[in-house]
Amino acid sequence: MILSTQHLSKKYNKEKFALKDYSLNIENGILGLLGPNGAGKSTLMKIIATISKPSSGTILLDGQDIVKEPNHIRKKLGYLPQDFGVYANLNAYEFLEYIAAMKGVGGPNLRKRIEMLLEGVNLVEAARRPIGTYSGGMKQRIGIAQALLNDPKVLIFDEPTVGLDPEERVRFRNLISDLAQDCIIILSSHIVSDIETIADEVAVMKNGILITKGTQAEVIKYVEGKIFEIVVESNAVNDFKIKHLVVNSTRQKENTRLRYISDNPVSGSIDGMASLEDAYLFLTKNNA
Amino acid sequence: MNNYKSIIKGDYLQRTRSYAFLITIAISLFLSYTFLPAPGAAYTTVKIGKYIGENNTAWIGYVTAMMTSIFLSLIGFYLVNNTIKKDRDTEVGMIIATTQVSNFKYLFTKVLSNFMVLLTITGLVSIMGIMLVFARSNGADFNIVQFILPYLLTTLPCIFFIASLAVLAEVFLGKWPMLQYIGFFFLFGIITANVLQGAGTNTKILMDPFGVKMVMTGMENVVRQQYDATATVGSVGFNFSPSQETTTFLFQGISWSALYIISRLMWIGLSIVAIFIASKFFHRFDIKEKVRSGQKKIIITESNGATNILHEIKLSSLPSIQTDYGILPFIKTELLMLFRKGPKWLWLVNIGGMIAMIFVPIKIAHQFVLPVLWFLQVGRWSDLTTKEKTNRIHYFTYAAYRPLERLLTSQILAGIIIAIALASPLMIRYLVMGNVMLILSILTGAVFIVSLAVCLGILSGGKKLFEILFFAITYSNLNLLPVTDYFGALGNSKNLIFTMLLIIAGLIFISFAKRKYEIAHG
Repeated sequence: MILSTQHLSKKYNKEKFALKDYSLNIENGILGLLGPNGAGKSTLMKIIATISKPSSGTILLDGQDIVKEPNHIRKKLGYLPQDFGVYANLNAYEFLEYIAAMKGVGGPNLRKRIEMLLEGVNLVEAARRPIGTYSGGMKQRIGIAQALLNDPKVLIFDEPTVGLDPEERVRFRNLISDLAQDCIIILSSHIVSDIETIADEVAVMKNGILITKGTQAEVIKYVEGKIFEIVVESNAVNDFKIKHLVVNSTRQKENTRLRYISDNPVSGSIDGMASLEDAYLFLTKNNA
Repeated sequence: MNNYKSIIKGDYLQRTRSYAFLITIAISLFLSYTFLPAPGAAYTTVKIGKYIGENNTAWIGYVTAMMTSIFLSLIGFYLVNNTIKKDRDTEVGMIIATTQVSNFKYLFTKVLSNFMVLLTITGLVSIMGIMLVFARSNGADFNIVQFILPYLLTTLPCIFFIASLAVLAEVFLGKWPMLQYIGFFFLFGIITANVLQGAGTNTKILMDPFGVKMVMTGMENVVRQQYDATATVGSVGFNFSPSQETTTFLFQGISWSALYIISRLMWIGLSIVAIFIASKFFHRFDIKEKVRSGQKKIIITESNGATNILHEIKLSSLPSIQTDYGILPFIKTELLMLFRKGPKWLWLVNIGGMIAMIFVPIKIAHQFVLPVLWFLQVGRWSDLTTKEKTNRIHYFTYAAYRPLERLLTSQILAGIIIAIALASPLMIRYLVMGNVMLILSILTGAVFIVSLAVCLGILSGGKKLFEILFFAITYSNLNLLPVTDYFGALGNSKNLIFTMLLIIAGLIFISFAKRKYEIAHG
């Protein structure tokens, strides 16, 4: 299965682009979307999820244009929006049955499938209660369950780990790693470590433009040999930050350990191991 | 003072910068144009016996000001009674609660903001009134004082009262919006039936928050002294009659008595005192959200409801599912949500109304019980097609398989099923009598009112517009106005049904077209 966006643009007005000439091919596996707020991640996901229409460009799923024929992808789509809501007076079973109807799935096994999904997201005990009484994390898990209702082949997760605690985040990563064998998964997150551990490929975006896309190793190459660490006096930190791209700082009593990106390291610096987070910060800060 | 100004300004701008407000303004302008019937029109608005005033500044000013008082009281409450709810829904209220603003100051700014919204409409109506003076007064002088005084003394205190009443209703009945709608419906009915009817005694003038009784009495006195000693103002509003024999008289305004001015100030004062008292009971957004459930109301947290561990899910091990593009599951869920919406006791009232339709005289059942019973469902129907956006479910619904054909259709059908079920006792009686035409009229009415809810919800993106219009329509129904008789209570004909079907087709077409656009463009 191949999902391909070709010269995709979304314009808000003459000057403001949410997405600009965005072209990308996605195959089975996990694509992690990284980018600061306003980079256009959610816009891209909404367009692929057929909720929003691009101003120009096409999206092909196995050669079929889903901008013109959105129902082609809707049959196989699982989508977890960033800030979705629920019908507070429905319980988990009723809500998932409703979503199943939207997705056009049913049959005698639907109830059993819903039960197993609720078991999977550990909401069986609370499943008879109205969803309006759930905590944020529980609502997020209902969101995950609904995305998997229809045996999806394209899964879009927009900031899926919001509301999940650290242990749940680990479980969630495992879950989507399993799913990725047979699906296209597009995942956005502000938390680079969420992407780092599971994404087969990473796309870095800024201001609606695709800065780069590749495997993690390919993206990390941008900063290989450029990561250094140095300990400076705390009162010299601000001056140092003006001159160098600092990606991390750790206070150590009167001193501060700084991790920075540079072609010309300051004397006294030691080499650091480049990570995806370094590359992300380098690419998004350097492509203003 | 600057703080007050900033809060009111922010609140006012937030509420007026909406499509729904624009539509309300357009409707208000149209209505204000009709406040002064054109020569030869088949209706009157203010008539004293057979007398209406010559179209001069005084007559047009007084008539438009009185009509504004009545109609802004009628719809204004519904227009502004969600200001605190908005702060609660957007959670801005939580931020406000942490500031130094006192309960009274907060509530009073809400009153002033409500007042500003209603004042904007009043201002536009008065501009239309001035245009009517120049268009219809045949060159008579424009006397600004004569024109402005009735607005100043009658309309402004009236809208201040309504602005305060809306805030009071939100403070005391905030959890039960349906009760607010119904409560105001009856309060308005009581005021218009008891205060505005009969002789203009001092008590009635004092008891009239709309301020029109004194003006009506003043007009009566002019006609009685000069033309007809028995002439009375029948009512203030749209009075339709096939033959409108009228005679004009010269109206030059009334003298504003001290009692009247005191009564107007009294209503403003009472409103402020009531807000002050309400501020002692205001929740300040410390509300425990409760959701209806079959059993006792409970808030589930991670600790008492379920553990927060996400288990492993293997898609391949889940039971296979089949394709099912039917709409029955949608209709079932939409009906479920319609049933669960609002307080449970309302269903007892609904059942009571249905039983009443079996036993009361059939004319009463059709003309009064049915429109009231349908109006009680205003909260259910008004968000039939807006709840996806307000609950942020549209991310799912708009990405659903054929959402337009399947979901929107099922929402309309679910609404119609409720309307028909409620009217069923009456329809069965007509069936027994063999009156198929009236059954068809009721069915058409059911489809019409739901289509109107759907269309206005989709067009305005909110539920207010339908709520306001439905209230005005029902009020007119209870006053037996033929122009708003959408369910054949005052007679029926094939023509009426045909016209209604055309309107329904238009409403449905607009709804589908706009929703299609929304789905396509997010």
